Amino acid sequence: MSGIKKRVVIVGGGTGGAVLANRLPKDEFEVTIVDRQPYNYFWPWLLYIAFRGSKKTIKREIRSVLKPWINFIQSEVKVVNLQERYVEINGGRRLSYDYLVVATGATVDYSKIPGLDKTTEMFGNYHSTEENAWKVWHTLNNMKEGTLAIILSPGAYRCPPSPLEGVFLAEEFFRKRGLRDRVKIVFATFYPRPYPAEPVNELIEPLLKERGIDYITFYTLDHIDPEKRIAYSMEGEELKFDAAVVIPPHVGVDIKYVPEDVLDSDRFVLADKFTNRIKGFDDAFVIGDASALPVAKTGVTAHLQAGVVARILQGEDARNTGRTNCPFDVGYGLGTFVISDFYNPAVKYPINRINHLFKVAFAATYWDMIMYPELWDPLFEAYFEATEPAKLRQLYG
Amino acid sequence: MVKYCSYEVVVMSQGNKIFVDARGIACPGPITELVKAYRNAKNGDLIEVWATDAGFEPDIKAWIQRTGNQLVELRKDPDKIVAVIRVTAKK
Repeated sequence: MSGIKKRVVIVGGGTGGAVLANRLPKDEFEVTIVDRQPYNYFWPWLLYIAFRGSKKTIKREIRSVLKPWINFIQSEVKVVNLQERYVEINGGRRLSYDYLVVATGATVDYSKIPGLDKTTEMFGNYHSTEENAWKVWHTLNNMKEGTLAIILSPGAYRCPPSPLEGVFLAEEFFRKRGLRDRVKIVFATFYPRPYPAEPVNELIEPLLKERGIDYITFYTLDHIDPEKRIAYSMEGEELKFDAAVVIPPHVGVDIKYVPEDVLDSDRFVLADKFTNRIKGFDDAFVIGDASALPVAKTGVTAHLQAGVVARILQGEDARNTGRTNCPFDVGYGLGTFVISDFYNPAVKYPINRINHLFKVAFAATYWDMIMYPELWDPLFEAYFEATEPAKLRQLYG
Repeated sequence: MVKYCSYEVVVMSQGNKIFVDARGIACPGPITELVKAYRNAKNGDLIEVWATDAGFEPDIKAWIQRTGNQLVELRKDPDKIVAVIRVTAKK
């Protein structure tokens, strides 16, 4: 080694960015995280604000979840110049790098669906902010009868099970309030079946029927009229509602990239699915929700990709397996996981109480796991090995 | 040399024909990519989808039946499934 540390700039202090930063050895790397705001959020908990009124804190200062030797700069990122290897932040200041990691996450774009901004203002959603999640909670509490529609907008979105988790938790909410016979719940999705991956759908679709939840498939939301309370599909099909919670279209964050053709039409960053290298560049990576890869936008994906990139930066020939492990709350204290990888479709993993407890336990350890990968990695590795999709398929099909 | 084998998702507009390469993406990825293209298409446009996932064939047939768009061609090449759709049902 030359003794000169390699400079790593990470754009974004969410799960992926923070996990990666904390894994890089301090004697080899000079790591700087840039984020436009000071918090690391545990976004999965928006679901429990929206449908349970949970008051648990969902954010912590980014600085507090980073190892002390990591630099943190709170600033907008204006330009990512991959050709000249710098990131431009506020005041025109440029950070040069040896390695760049884009970990900006995704954001939502209401403008893609006319009427969605007003609809969100009225009823909230659970894929954007705490404020909007609280609006969903108020929507549920104000509803004594009528139709609650939960609608999945066309395109990529964060956390594959989350739209249906909301549906199941809403059903539980109204049943526990004794209003279930007066409130109809409808789930509308652009996919061919309620849950897109068929083996998981074999568990989910019967459960929807059992709980009397209606669903409409191949429903591609075009626009929504919050005054008339009608959602229209692209084919003109009308869905009438009294309240509508829409999972909004997700897009990449608004940063200028040079060259521009590393972005897809929704501003997600194109990358190699095995190494997360940004299209055309050996020294730049994108992890987590910010990538255009056709993989689940979840914390576990960001976490595992961060591990692979950390190993690549240390000279290993590491590769993603495409492993997912998405907890799926189906209400009443029950859950499953969506487990798959690049080589195995999702497993029909049984619904039970222990899976839900795993989800709750994971939430409790979230920041600790980011801060101390050296302590948690062996546990996660054991868990991932025990639950390899190829093994589980032999047990559950 | 790094191989960018994940650029299966390439959407390019050629006049009124939109080409969606969803090869190598597992179910239901090809439908997601089709719907993304459909979102921006107009009546009369053609969308050609290439996919390798076997689940794509029943899904695309069901999609056509449900949405009322037109299936111009559905063929199985040795290395891929090709579906050509004419957008006709948009309101």
